[in-house]
Amino acid sequence: MSFKLRTIELTATGREIVRDRDIASDNLSIGRAAENDIHLPDLAVESRHATATALAGGRVSIKAVGKLSFTIDGSDSTETFIDSAAGAELGFGTYRITVSRDGDAILLTVRQFEESATRSGDLEEKGGFSLSGVLPGKRIMSWSLVGAILAVFLALPVISHMFYDPADKDNTVIGDSSWSTGDLSLAHHKLEDQCEACHVDAFVSVRDETCVSCHEDIHDHADPERLAASRSGHPLGQKFLWAVADTFGKEGPGSCADCHVEHEGARDMESPHQKFCADCHGALAESVPDTRLGDASDFGTLHPQFTPAVVADAATREKVRISLDKKPTEDHGLKFPHKLHLNPKGGAARMAANIGSAGGYGAKGMQCKDCHRPTEDGIRFKPIKMERDCEACHSLSYDKVGGIFRKLSHGDVDQLIADLSAGDLSQPTLTPRRRPGDYAEGRPYHFNFSGSVWKGLQLQTALSDEGICGECHRPMVQSDGKPGVIPVTLSTRYMQNGWFDHKAHKQEKCASCHFAEKSDKASDLLLPGIKDCRTCHLGEDAHEADVPSSCAMCHSYHVPSQVTHQSGGNRKKKG
Amino acid sequence: MATAPGNDAAHGHGAPSSHEGFLRHGRFRWLKIATVLCAVSLVAYLAVDVEPRPNGGSWIGYALGTIGAGLIVWLSLLGIRKRAITPGRWSLKAWTSAHVYLGLSLIVVATLHTGFQLGLNVHTLAYALMMLVILSGIFGIWVYATLPSALSNNREEMTQGQMVDAIKGLDRQLNDAAQPLGRAEADLVLAALSEDPFGHGLWRRLSGNYPDCATQAALERLALTGTSSAETERVEKLLVRRKAQLERLRRHMRLKALLEVWLYVHVPATMALLAALLAHIISVFFYW
Repeated sequence: MSFKLRTIELTATGREIVRDRDIASDNLSIGRAAENDIHLPDLAVESRHATATALAGGRVSIKAVGKLSFTIDGSDSTETFIDSAAGAELGFGTYRITVSRDGDAILLTVRQFEESATRSGDLEEKGGFSLSGVLPGKRIMSWSLVGAILAVFLALPVISHMFYDPADKDNTVIGDSSWSTGDLSLAHHKLEDQCEACHVDAFVSVRDETCVSCHEDIHDHADPERLAASRSGHPLGQKFLWAVADTFGKEGPGSCADCHVEHEGARDMESPHQKFCADCHGALAESVPDTRLGDASDFGTLHPQFTPAVVADAATREKVRISLDKKPTEDHGLKFPHKLHLNPKGGAARMAANIGSAGGYGAKGMQCKDCHRPTEDGIRFKPIKMERDCEACHSLSYDKVGGIFRKLSHGDVDQLIADLSAGDLSQPTLTPRRRPGDYAEGRPYHFNFSGSVWKGLQLQTALSDEGICGECHRPMVQSDGKPGVIPVTLSTRYMQNGWFDHKAHKQEKCASCHFAEKSDKASDLLLPGIKDCRTCHLGEDAHEADVPSSCAMCHSYHVPSQVTHQSGGNRKKKG
Repeated sequence: MATAPGNDAAHGHGAPSSHEGFLRHGRFRWLKIATVLCAVSLVAYLAVDVEPRPNGGSWIGYALGTIGAGLIVWLSLLGIRKRAITPGRWSLKAWTSAHVYLGLSLIVVATLHTGFQLGLNVHTLAYALMMLVILSGIFGIWVYATLPSALSNNREEMTQGQMVDAIKGLDRQLNDAAQPLGRAEADLVLAALSEDPFGHGLWRRLSGNYPDCATQAALERLALTGTSSAETERVEKLLVRRKAQLERLRRHMRLKALLEVWLYVHVPATMALLAALLAHIISVFFYW
């Protein structure tokens, strides 16, 4: 059987040119080299790639010459047998050779499929200059991101909020932490993952009632009507802003969230700045004409003089509030001035110095701290106690029985009457101390202290100006006719609506503010005025001041007499 | 965008010209407007005393936020607007000029809106995406201002189609010239012909660096074989010419990639920003 070779080529216009050639040989060579019987000019084809041998019965054997294979009906092969009656397609590079029967001959039809020499295909068709070939499309990226962001940051929290159970404490809204604009203050830290605890209803601003559900004891700053009146003087711009806020459902001025701003970081919630107070108190006399409060907007520039509550009448203990500008005096019931004890050359100071450390006194005589002892928190001073603070010098001994001195009971007139009536005053009470020098027995200044002879310890005169009580107290006749002394009312706190912390001022000497050493009248009120405070304290924004001070340093909004936020141990230094 | 900015020195200073770029449009009208917007925002920010510290939830914060959100939505509409090229006062060029300068002013407006309070939340996500969009936009302005001339120089009057045709012509010649070569040499040429110039990834395109270039490899290996028949010499010369054409094509692709790549950040980030902005606004009012 012989071979018949048919080559089909395409012209530029796509027309086919068919050439037939009969080949007498039973053996055909196939390859890139021109001397092959079937010349396939394709670099992917070997110079001598394969041989085709016609066998009996119209069968053909195809065998690769080198290592490179060929394809038979699409699958790789190095040797194959084909029945030409059945036919097959061989592939060599870009060429296809179809095996079939044409009468007695085996017909091999050669055709090239990929014309382009550039084997990566038609470059222009690829439109490869654009980046769209090497990057995911902008559209798909865009919508993927949109979908992901809306799902995670919007749909998840919103849907979770719709279906969570407010009654179940462990079941909180999922995904809403991404909505938090900042950490909560330390006091609210526990609520960090429970947004819905404060943001109760969707699209409803945080309500006062929610705050009050925990802060049950908080009460209003003032009568709501007066509060409203005080805001009538707010500037137009502020009113406009509140009108806008009202449109968006905010609760309005004076609501909890108006002053207490949350999500400002994990620290103490900041005290409202002085402008929150000054907005109303700066011109309170105009908006609330009947107010007793002076206008205040800045401690350094506009703040009324202090009006301490002083004892106006010792007998009735009645206290009145008087401005320090009026130089008030106080009738606290005692009769001696501070100078008596504090004058370093005075007898009291000398006596204290002589007693020395045994009585807790220093070498310089009496100091403020010898009578005024700070409270445990250091903020104020403990009430004066006669037994602790005075008795080291002012002995209440009236008798000596055996080795025991009998003492009057301080503050108990009935007991005094009983003691002095029953005491055996016939024997002189000898002082246990013997004194040297001119004070010694037989010397000019010797004084034989004797209860029986001293009027101060005689029942009739003990409570009088000349008596032992009268050294400090003023005598009076009690309502039941018995003798007595005017009650003593020593204030431990003069400013009821402001807050003062002595501990915060401990680097100062007492005399910096209280001119006790020079006070020669018992009625002197030794409180410093606002001018004295202003040597260090000025308003919140006064950076020239040693201590720029906001309203909240001394005043509390909700409970005027309560410890203020700033003075309550967590005071922050202002920058 | 056909109009390259910054290359209009030849048209006189500030004189309106049909070749005026979008940056100089209308004697920098939008630059001035954007500057005023920034200045007003900054002055307002500094003048208003927000307690306890500046934040987006104060009235000035809401005002800046509203302006910022409005700008973002309007700026993103350029993606729709650009499909209609119109002349005149509200021409696409005017719109693009406004897009650039108002977009840049967002850096000031939106940053002041944050009150410099950033965190790990959806609000900062929106801000970060916005900054990403703006930064990619700045890159876009830079490449539009500098690359078109380089692109034009590289092309030397050739169209993209002509560049491809030149390579295809050389490939046909290579294909014919390589027919007499042995297996090993033929494989080298075949590999060069088979390499798709568009088949490389983003990094190759942007850097213009093709260390595994098959044409270069064929040249080097053919030189190593040491055989200097007339056939191999012809093939080598063709490969050198192919390499030169290929390099021009690659420079062209690199410049085109730089001109295009920022949009692959700018556009998806803008869409992501719109989504984050929506989540930001809704969440603020949801937990009001």
